[in-house]
Amino acid sequence: MFMIFGMGGTVGFLSGLFGIGGGFLLTPLLIFSGIPPAVSVATVTTQIVASSASGVLAYWRQNAIDFKLAFCLLCAGVVGSALGVWLFGVLKSLGQLDLVISLSYVTFLGTIGALMLGESVKAISRRKSGAVTSARRPGQHNWVHGLPFKVRFRRSKLYVSIIPIIGIGSSIGFLGSVLGIGGGFMMVPALIYLLRVPTSIVIGTSLLQILVTMAAATILHAINTQTVDIVLALTLMIGGVIGAQFGAQVGQGMRGEHLRLLLALLVLGVGLRFAYNLVVEPEDKYSVVVEEVQKP
Amino acid sequence: MMAARSLFVTLAALVLALVSSLPAFAERLVSAISAEEVKISSNFTGADILVFGEIGRDAATVPRPGKYDIVVTVEGPPEQVTTWRKERVFGLWINVNSKTYANVPSFYAAHSSSPLEEVSPDNILKQERTGLDNLPIAPVGIRFTNKEEREAFREAFLRERVEDGLYAERFDAVEFLSPTLFATNVPLPANIPTGTFTVTTFLYKDGVKLSEVEQTLSVAKTGFEQLTYSLAYEQPALYGIMAVILALFTGWMAGIIFRKN
Repeated sequence: MFMIFGMGGTVGFLSGLFGIGGGFLLTPLLIFSGIPPAVSVATVTTQIVASSASGVLAYWRQNAIDFKLAFCLLCAGVVGSALGVWLFGVLKSLGQLDLVISLSYVTFLGTIGALMLGESVKAISRRKSGAVTSARRPGQHNWVHGLPFKVRFRRSKLYVSIIPIIGIGSSIGFLGSVLGIGGGFMMVPALIYLLRVPTSIVIGTSLLQILVTMAAATILHAINTQTVDIVLALTLMIGGVIGAQFGAQVGQGMRGEHLRLLLALLVLGVGLRFAYNLVVEPEDKYSVVVEEVQKP
Repeated sequence: MMAARSLFVTLAALVLALVSSLPAFAERLVSAISAEEVKISSNFTGADILVFGEIGRDAATVPRPGKYDIVVTVEGPPEQVTTWRKERVFGLWINVNSKTYANVPSFYAAHSSSPLEEVSPDNILKQERTGLDNLPIAPVGIRFTNKEEREAFREAFLRERVEDGLYAERFDAVEFLSPTLFATNVPLPANIPTGTFTVTTFLYKDGVKLSEVEQTLSVAKTGFEQLTYSLAYEQPALYGIMAVILALFTGWMAGIIFRKN
């Protein structure tokens, strides 16, 4: 119990430090500490609801949420998350859920960690050499803006096709419910670089979408596989909330690219840990899964 | 230890009073458990169940040479489990083979006054399903695998259960306080399943089963644990919605407490 509280606190600290939701760190931590992967994933979705709720309120007060965009994203997100929960149940009954969770984590964390590492190392060396970096010009168009079915989003000052929005929303909802991650660390770059959503609006909007999608995932997991543990979730929430406050304070005193470098190493580390488990011969090749309690 | 001794003495007096009020027979076995119900609350870290009793003899009982043996088994409600085995596929360790067992006990403990092989011949123990090796664990469905394969899965299953503290075999765990008075302490771990347990006490002499007494023990969650558990399985949608409301509330509270003005 105290260990889990501590983990919630540590991940909360990291999420405050790096400005991330932390689901992709919390779920692996729970798995590595011996909690069944299915329970870890489903319970972390509940914890993400709590951690994004306070964020959403803060951004709402600052009027930094594009509700129309969030609505489109979360409609797609809920569909994606329902698909994810369905697949989760199928994989669980086939005994392959743990494998898919591990493989997905290796792929995602490996890719994102490597990209972040490259970017932050470049940023650090640029700063050292004193070169002036050219900021990306806003309003620049890319292939996404050529797609049909355009919709106007006034708050974000956008006029874009609905197709990429549905794509982003549903894939993040899907990944979120299968892997127990909010997906903020994928959604924010996608919204900024693909859709050119203004940076001031992007975080509040993505948090709202994460909140609703993860709430839907929690309810669906509870119905479909009974893997949500309220007591575990509450412990994680309280630990996380407290940790996040300290993390945010420490994070303010550090350079952005140094923070990103640390985060990249952390992400890569977690990915490698999953890879290690998959590749190295397990001590015990057998595992026992209770399927149902039988009525005598 | 002193406390246990004095408890034994009290119990002995209790059992003697019980026995003396019964009509006369050959060996009679009287047995009782210290609690008929175990409550699992949120701070449950395990419990001990004391199983005690008396081998009743009187003047009419034919005196027989040799010693008595007592075997106490505690069996949890049956469940269906699957044992998976990882194998290397393209360099990755993946669950490939599995065996499903139906009707295996979710908890099993066998306590005896001497090693089981000394208590009785194998075939009698097998018939009584006493001891880990004699539990009826057979895979569901016919799969064309050889005997070694089946045996490997069975052994792995038993090993996992013993490691989890759910299965146990403890020889010499049944203590005789007098030639006829016995007691044993069965530890129930924190991860004990819930349901109706069967506590069976067997009396053996010279390899022959003389008597057998059965009691039931109920293990149930209580308080908050009970509430969340039954809600999760009986009203899963409501449970999910409650989890979300709880999460929203916690997030909202945190936002208020740590709000920067």
